[in-house]
Amino acid sequence: MKRKLGAVLATALFAAAALSGCGGNDEAKPEASASGKSDGKQDAVASAGPDTSKPVELVWYLLGDANKDTPKVMEEFNKMLKKDLNATVKLNFTTWNDWQTKYNLLLTAGEKIDMIFASSWAGFFKYAKQGAFLDLTPLLPKYAPQVQKQVPEQDWSDVTIGGKIYAVPNTNPEYTPDGIVYREDWRKELNLPEIKDLASIEAYMDGIKKNKPGVIPINGSAWNEISTLFMAYHDFHTIGGESGVIVSKSYDTPRDIVAYPFTPEYEAWVKKMKEWADKGYWSKNTLSSKQEAGDLIKAGTGAIYWRNPPGASGFITDMQKQNPKVEIGYFPFTRLHNYAMPTMAIANGMAIPKSAANPERSLMVLEKIRTDPKYYNLITYGIEGYHYDLINDGKNIVTPSKSQDPAKVQGYGIADWGWRYKPLMKSGVGGWDGLDKLNEEFAKISKPDIFSPISMDYDPVKTEYAAVNQVKDQYGKPLMMGLVPNVDEAIKTYRDKLKAAGIDKVLDYVKQQATAYYDEKGIK
Amino acid sequence: MKRKKDLSTVSFIAIAYGTLSLLAILCLLPFWLIVSGSFTAENEIIGEGFKIWPKELSIDAYKAVFTNPEQILRAYWVTIWITAAGTFLGLFLTSMAGYVLARKDFKYRNAVSFFMYFTTLFSGGLIPWYILIVKYLSWKDSYLAMLVPGLLSAWNIILMKNFMKSIPDSIIESARIDGANDFTIYSRLILPLSTPGLATIGLFLALGYWNDWFTANIFITTESKYPLQFFLYKILANAAVLRTDIAANLSAVNFKAPAETLKMAVAVVVTGPIVLLYPFVQKYFVKGLTIGAVKG
Repeated sequence: MKRKLGAVLATALFAAAALSGCGGNDEAKPEASASGKSDGKQDAVASAGPDTSKPVELVWYLLGDANKDTPKVMEEFNKMLKKDLNATVKLNFTTWNDWQTKYNLLLTAGEKIDMIFASSWAGFFKYAKQGAFLDLTPLLPKYAPQVQKQVPEQDWSDVTIGGKIYAVPNTNPEYTPDGIVYREDWRKELNLPEIKDLASIEAYMDGIKKNKPGVIPINGSAWNEISTLFMAYHDFHTIGGESGVIVSKSYDTPRDIVAYPFTPEYEAWVKKMKEWADKGYWSKNTLSSKQEAGDLIKAGTGAIYWRNPPGASGFITDMQKQNPKVEIGYFPFTRLHNYAMPTMAIANGMAIPKSAANPERSLMVLEKIRTDPKYYNLITYGIEGYHYDLINDGKNIVTPSKSQDPAKVQGYGIADWGWRYKPLMKSGVGGWDGLDKLNEEFAKISKPDIFSPISMDYDPVKTEYAAVNQVKDQYGKPLMMGLVPNVDEAIKTYRDKLKAAGIDKVLDYVKQQATAYYDEKGIK
Repeated sequence: MKRKKDLSTVSFIAIAYGTLSLLAILCLLPFWLIVSGSFTAENEIIGEGFKIWPKELSIDAYKAVFTNPEQILRAYWVTIWITAAGTFLGLFLTSMAGYVLARKDFKYRNAVSFFMYFTTLFSGGLIPWYILIVKYLSWKDSYLAMLVPGLLSAWNIILMKNFMKSIPDSIIESARIDGANDFTIYSRLILPLSTPGLATIGLFLALGYWNDWFTANIFITTESKYPLQFFLYKILANAAVLRTDIAANLSAVNFKAPAETLKMAVAVVVTGPIVLLYPFVQKYFVKGLTIGAVKG
């Protein structure tokens, strides 16, 4: 009897120990060890000069996939780096599988990472606020002075939170407004008006539908095409990313924030969409379709596809290769309201996690990449004379090198978004030349992005936010695509459901956050 | 002797066979669609969707898969190696644990059983697990991270224990009288008698290792160490990313949307071998599972 009791007690003790051990691990461990270590390190760094006597291996993480030649390229790269900075870089990739989970693990577990790709769309603001990244402010002048000068003031302010710089943003003014690619040859053939506004888009779809049997104007999944057109047409801007239903009503009145399903504009729009859907501009099962509208253009049964300019460029180049007879046009929605916003600098950048073993050396390597074309070209475009050749005084590249067999060697590319620096960037030749023209057009009508930096942390209204998104998926999407029998009724249901889901609470929260941001930045 | 069948037997047989054939077709159809899809021309799938029988046979997808055969073959090799090693080691450890717990002369067997059972109720969660493997064991980017965590599971041990309990104690006793020691009894008597149980758990383990992509997903960073399933999953994930808002933020230079048919071809390449494994262990499978599942 006694023995048995002992055994039970021992087990219970074991269990208790195991449980508490787990619990402790869960919260306290990573935080404590991560912050404790790095604080000490930071002091040490500040007092020491750029000392490269100790050889180090830096672990860098990039979001995306490696190229099959990455090991070869990195070997070359490390040879140079070893000589100049006594360091080598090991590139790791998250791959696109569950990268959010992986990001979270990498940054919360306090793994030794010396530099990691950071981005507004990959939770930069969230992680920076949680203290996952190292404050770079004191390190920059010492270890990356040229980069500090390279990056424009405005871009630094994008990555400054509470007066501290948490990442080095890329320096490449990019425009990624929404827009559509379409069959320009068909438009000419059918004598349809040039696409320049909503009416001409409608006329185009009408002409295609009537004259091209078997073709559905927006074939496959048409949600992106229609929802982005809606936003651009009314000059609405979603706030806080995550294409929710809360928008700022116009660029000129950024503080006028509403939930768009409650506006008269929306009511009129969905009525029009009902007409369009009934006319068969897209298929009835468009919401469940997993097919990209672009694939169906390639198959010859579609005519319109949503793309941003770089995406359009890729699509058109591809099309020219596959089927040179087809002419593709591009219409950016910026022409509906005549201004373009560049993407935020921290749409792509590099940050140093708190757990980094050698933050100073990492910054020095980044400085090398961003100032020395030899390094930049190698890590970004691969090996010269193999993956690419420089032409036009080094302004452009051809891939692969002319000395190689194109069937065996392909151009090189990796997830280089984080360290892009416009003066060092090359563009390939032989692609679509429309992209440069578009970028010129955008630069002329450029206005700073005042919406994206409002980074929302939806935690306080998490439940309502999830419920609202659920309602949007269930009731908003069919309505937007004109797939309901009675529009008025459906609008009413949608609005009621949104109210019930707590849209007002989310709206108030967004307004409060946006106002705080506008006050801080002095935007009216 | 031949018995005459009456009408009801005949009709029963007809209905039974009919229903079963129908069900079998329903089960096989998706597989067939994958196979036929992998042999269809890309444009046909995009334009007309999947079909039972493609208009035009095309092996382009397989050509694409095997343009870079090292990658697939290496992934195959990793998976086969991990599966074989994991199954073998796992079976050894599970049967040892099960045997010990099944022996009535092991004094603390209830306490130990409870301790194991307890772990099935609570788990530390993803982050502690990750920290344990990466920081304390330093198994990041190591095959060990894929191999070791799957070796033992409480569920398998309990199954094994229950199975071995059905072996009469008198066998062990008689062996002991003949002078066998514990290891001889385990290896010469218990293991051969537990073949159905071993086959069942072996299949569980093998399937688990073969299908596991998640551990590779979070722990493996070197491409040459990717197992087959993760390789396939990576192709699919690339396609998924292209459909999201994120693609708008990236210049799409390094992206190439994978072709529909390529996905199908990879699926065929990946599932093929494990499907072939079933018929060989199936006969043990039913028996092992039913005996082991009776809790004692």
